[in-house]
Order: sequence, then C-alpha cells, then structure tokens
Amino acid sequence: MKNKMNIYSHIFLFFVSLIVLVPLVLIISTAFKSLQEIMTLDFHWMPEKIIVTNFIETLAVAPWLRYYMNTIILVIMVLAVQLVTISLAAYAFGRMKFKGKSILFILFLVQMMIPAQSLVIPNYMTLSSLKMIDTILAIGVVYFASAYGVFLMRQAFMAVPLAMEDAARMEGCGSLRFIATVLIPLTKPSLIAFSLVSLTHHWNEFFWPIIVTDTVKARPLTVGLAMLTQATESSPEWALTSAATLIVIAPLMICFLIFQKQFISSFMSSGIKG
Amino acid sequence: MSPKSFKRLKPYLFLLPALFFLAVFTYFPILNAFKTSLFKLNLDFPKGEFAWFENYRILLASSTFRQVISNSLFYSFSTIIIGFTLSLFLAIQLDKNIKLKGFYKVILFYPTMIPMAAAALIWMWIFMPMYGVLDYYLGKLGFASHNWLNDPNLALGCLVVVGVWKRLGYYVLFFLAGLQNIPSSLNEAATIDGANPVQRFFVITLPMISSFSFFVFITSIIDSLQAVDQVYIMTQGGPFESTNLLVYYIYENGFKYWNRGLGSAMTSVLTIFLLIVTVVIFKTVGKKVYYESER
Repeated sequence: MKNKMNIYSHIFLFFVSLIVLVPLVLIISTAFKSLQEIMTLDFHWMPEKIIVTNFIETLAVAPWLRYYMNTIILVIMVLAVQLVTISLAAYAFGRMKFKGKSILFILFLVQMMIPAQSLVIPNYMTLSSLKMIDTILAIGVVYFASAYGVFLMRQAFMAVPLAMEDAARMEGCGSLRFIATVLIPLTKPSLIAFSLVSLTHHWNEFFWPIIVTDTVKARPLTVGLAMLTQATESSPEWALTSAATLIVIAPLMICFLIFQKQFISSFMSSGIKG
Repeated sequence: MSPKSFKRLKPYLFLLPALFFLAVFTYFPILNAFKTSLFKLNLDFPKGEFAWFENYRILLASSTFRQVISNSLFYSFSTIIIGFTLSLFLAIQLDKNIKLKGFYKVILFYPTMIPMAAAALIWMWIFMPMYGVLDYYLGKLGFASHNWLNDPNLALGCLVVVGVWKRLGYYVLFFLAGLQNIPSSLNEAATIDGANPVQRFFVITLPMISSFSFFVFITSIIDSLQAVDQVYIMTQGGPFESTNLLVYYIYENGFKYWNRGLGSAMTSVLTIFLLIVTVVIFKTVGKKVYYESER
C-alpha cells in the first residue's frame, strides 16, 4: 500500500519536474544550434550539430564584459553596505532597550510591504535631482537598507546569550567591537544566508536597473540582455538571444549546482529577497 | 556630551544608517508620490500645476485603468491559487521520504536562481507560434498553431504560467519546512483512531503548517502585485492592454508617456492598496495563525 502511494508521488513529481526543466534544457539546446536549425518546424531537443558560433557572435555585438563588471560591482556594493546597516540596526533592535522601539520596528516593516519596485517614479525623481541617473550607485542605493536583513539578523543576534556581552563589557569591550568580534562570527550562518539571497536578488534584478540606466556604462547583465533582444526589430534573433541568455544565467546556475544545499537553506531561512 | 546622554542616544545612532536610507528611498518617495499626484505634471505641463485630485479622477474614468486593475486581480488570484495548491501538493509528495528527494528539490528550485527577464525570454521562445516547443507538441496532437502571446484571451494566462513556474520551488521549500515540523506521532495517533488521509490533511496537516502557509500567502500577494519584468519583456502590456499590470502601468505613465502626475497617482493607489491588504491580512488571518513564540 505504502509503496503504491509512493509510486504515484514519483510519477507526479517526475512530470512536474519535467515541465519545470523545459526552459533550462531548451535554452541550453537552442544556444548550441544554428539559426537554420532553430527555425525549422521539425523540433529536436538535441542539436543536430553542436556549434559555438552563437556565443562568439553574441560576444561581438554586446559589451558583455562591461555588463559583467557592472553587475559584479553592483551586487558587491549593495551587499557590503547592507551588511553594515543591517548589523547595526539589528543590534539595536535585538539587544538594546530604547523609547519608540516598537514604532520604529513597524516603520521598518513598511519597506517589506512596499517594495522599491512600486516606487520607481518618485525614486527616479529623487535620483535625477541628485544627478545620479545612469550610475551603478543609483541602481544599488535604493537597497542599502534592508528590512528583511534587519529582521533576520535581529533573530540571530537575540540568540546569543546576554551573559557573553556582560563579560565582554567587563573587559572593556565596546558595542561596535562586540558586534565585529563576537556577534558576527557567532551568527555567520545567518549572515551567509542573507548574503546569498541578496547577491542572487540583485544579480537577477531587471526593472529598476532598466529605468535608471541609459547607457552601457552602468547597465547590468539583465538589462544588457533585454537591450540585445530589442535591438533586433520584430522578434528577437533566437540564436544570439539564447546564447546571451545562457551567458547571463550561467554563473548563478553553476554556483547553485555546486552549493545547492547552502543556497536552498539560505533562501529558506531568510524569508525572501535582499 | 555626557556619557549618560550618549548612552541614551546610542540605540538611535545604531539605527541611523538604515533609517537614513529607508527615509530617503521608502518613506520620502511614498509622500513625494502623493504630493506629485496632486499636480498636473506631464508633457503639457512640464513645470507642474496644482490640480487637487484631478489625476485620480482621470484614473477612475479611464477604461485602461479599470482593465489594469482587473488584469492584476486575475493575475494575482490565479498565480496565488495555482502556486499555493500546487506547491503544497508537491511538498506533501516530497515529505513522504521518497527517493531522489534532493534531486526533485533542486529541479523545482532552479527557476528562483534565474533572472525573471531571462526566464521571460525563454518562455517567449516556448510560446513562439509554429517554431516554439509548445506549438510543436500541440501540433503533434493535432492542434493548429497558435499565437499565444498575441491573443488577448490567452496572453495573461501565459504570464500566469511563467509566474507560477518561477516561484513554485521557492514555496515548496516553505511548505516542506512546515510539514517536517509536524511530529509524526500526531499522524500515527490519528491513523490509529481511524482517521483517513483526507481527514488527517484537514485536521492535522493544514493547522500545523498554518504559519508557513501564512508566509507563503503574504509573500505571494506582494510578489504577484509587483510582477512587471515578464510584462516588459514578453508583451509590453499588449495585446489591447490585456496583460497590462499595475507596476507596468506605472512605468508606462511615468516613463513612456512622461505623465508623472498620473503615474504618481497610480503609485499612491498601489501603495495604499498594499498597506491595506497587508494590515487586513495580518489582523484577520494572521491572528488565527499559530506563531512560534518570539522573545
């Protein structure tokens, strides 16, 4: 009886997984096909002849190296600032008593309810008056404070016994030093979880970057990819597009496959986006 | 400064950096959007002219706005209901300690790691008339080729498929965490008492995972109301506004038509809507949900 039930579970999981896998397998297979083979009505999963010219051509038509650099600078900059702002705020919320704590906490909650995505017009206006449009800083600055990160790290900080802090204080260790030398090393798993989620989220971001950038100098990978497809008139040129898509998704996909457990548990423990 | 007053100020100093960025890029924009929404600020009035609630009147009178609202409701309800049930069902199958569990988890989860913009491009290719995989297999079954993304009756449904695909594995994880939290003794006891699997599901499983369901529910609401990347890439709101969703509509008004006043009115509507939805849900559903104790 139990075995039979599991067979149905397997069949169901197998079919759903198969469907979920279609886009990934398709993009890999298309990227290695010639345009002629792509544009036939006789579809094959396996390319008849595996070619790499799509990648070479794609590399020639768009500044991918620049896009890569921009994305890497963006995600590292955002994460670095976030780690500072969230550790300080999480320490205050998790381990200090002060007036207005609960109201301030609710104020932080607002950011989780109203993501930056919906505030693109006023944020664009602010950055435009600061003459910051079309910079990598403009893409990242709206995420420098992360309410999610503060909540996550507050939980982690609260789990560290108060007695440790008292002991450290007796030996003349100030709050900042205590955060840096005791709290952060002790809460490494939470920090890593937050970092992975933040990096993934900003690597993948598209809508705000496309609004706030105008030129190659600040565009991240996702925007570069969209530009490539819009450059060709009616519909995207699929041979180039699929190779470019693979170039964009490959780094995270490879990291994910290598560190799958770490990624999956990070996403689970940290709620959502950075 | 005396050491005592410094001690009192210290918590606020620690909060200051985060609060500064929240103030400039969350609170101020909310207020600024509301202020801007009271002005005519568009190509005819580039300097802006105070107009009270004129923009809101225009919005309410606009058939596109009504269409956008109904599209968004359809998109949100469908992705939430399909995503919720399907991921819960998948998690229940995975919880049976079957073989290849890790393998299935990785496959279901990988869409989370792909940018929506890239995923949207791939799905465009799947939905492509004649040459796409979908039409290829439907053709084998004898169906005629179809222009999926250009059909006002189907395009939004296609976006729902993409939305569900992207978030499915992420939600499965949360349900799985919830299911693994249920002590197996509970189910065993119920079985001995003669409860069938359906009864066990409604009496034990659902109540025991309520806090996880609640999280998935809230997240999927906020998420689905923010959907925009796939609209931008796949349909640009068309055909005939049939896939125009809230955030895309804000983008169109604010950046394509340079009507900042109207776009800001729309931003304010969305902001208030999001605040009301989350507060209402927390007050109603949230209260009934079993919470892990928090210090």
